[in-house]
Amino acid sequence: MDKTTLTPEESLLLITKTIEATKRRFEENGHIIILWGVLMFTVFFSQYIFSITGLYKKFDIIWTVILFPLGAIYQFIYVRKTINRKNLPKTLLLRVITTMGWAMGLNLMVLGFLFSQQLGDAMAPVFIILLALSMIVIGASIEFKPLFIGGLVLNLIGFCTFWLARDYHGFSMMLGAIVGLIIPGILLNKARRNKNV
Amino acid sequence: MFKELDPILHSQLRLSIVSTLMTVDEANFNFIKDTTNATSGNISIQIKKLQEAGYIQVKKSFKDNYPNTMLSITDKGRAAFEDYVNNLNKYINPGK
Repeated sequence: MDKTTLTPEESLLLITKTIEATKRRFEENGHIIILWGVLMFTVFFSQYIFSITGLYKKFDIIWTVILFPLGAIYQFIYVRKTINRKNLPKTLLLRVITTMGWAMGLNLMVLGFLFSQQLGDAMAPVFIILLALSMIVIGASIEFKPLFIGGLVLNLIGFCTFWLARDYHGFSMMLGAIVGLIIPGILLNKARRNKNV
Repeated sequence: MFKELDPILHSQLRLSIVSTLMTVDEANFNFIKDTTNATSGNISIQIKKLQEAGYIQVKKSFKDNYPNTMLSITDKGRAAFEDYVNNLNKYINPGK
């Protein structure tokens, strides 16, 4: 591949095609967003089931303490493997999303495990609002409207949760997982697959 | 009047390499190879020419016991690319 006599039109087309091809290679396929949505839904749905069957005290710790860190470990391995497999380069966008993802994840875990007493009834709304912020930023960064809108709706759910009794906070989390993560994640996955066909 | 197009950039593979590097902070040799679909030998030659022109920076190291060549665009390369694109636009739209 080396042609020295390019016309100006060919040169511009080559530049456009190369930049498009480069961008496509590090596009997020929604896998991680779906993973966290399903994880979040599973944790709160199972907690609800345990609470109505009277098993809550036995199993809540197992789900929360094991499933979320397990998700974080899976994400770490998945991201590393993807970067190595695709030889992904360093980009500003990738750096922003990765740093924000980890910072947000760690903050949510610290809040959940160390400050749940202090936060009391505000725990779930704060959790949802922080999650919503990251979805809004990611949606805007990768210019994917459903994710951005999902983040806004999640943000709204977070504020509305302040008005709900604590017993219903789990439902807000489940709704938030579906609207803010699972649906936009699936749409993102579909959009990327269609683009790659 | 039309300015002459930069001969360093006015080659398919070199232009492809520089266009790729314009979108990223830095990329390794294999990423460039996958993006351009060119052979390793050809890429190496063009990288050397771009490096000699001061358009790209090449950092060689080892990663998991394998050689790892990282490439990034320099300020000079960025300016040359922007100049090149501006000149292309003048050729395509001479009135503007």
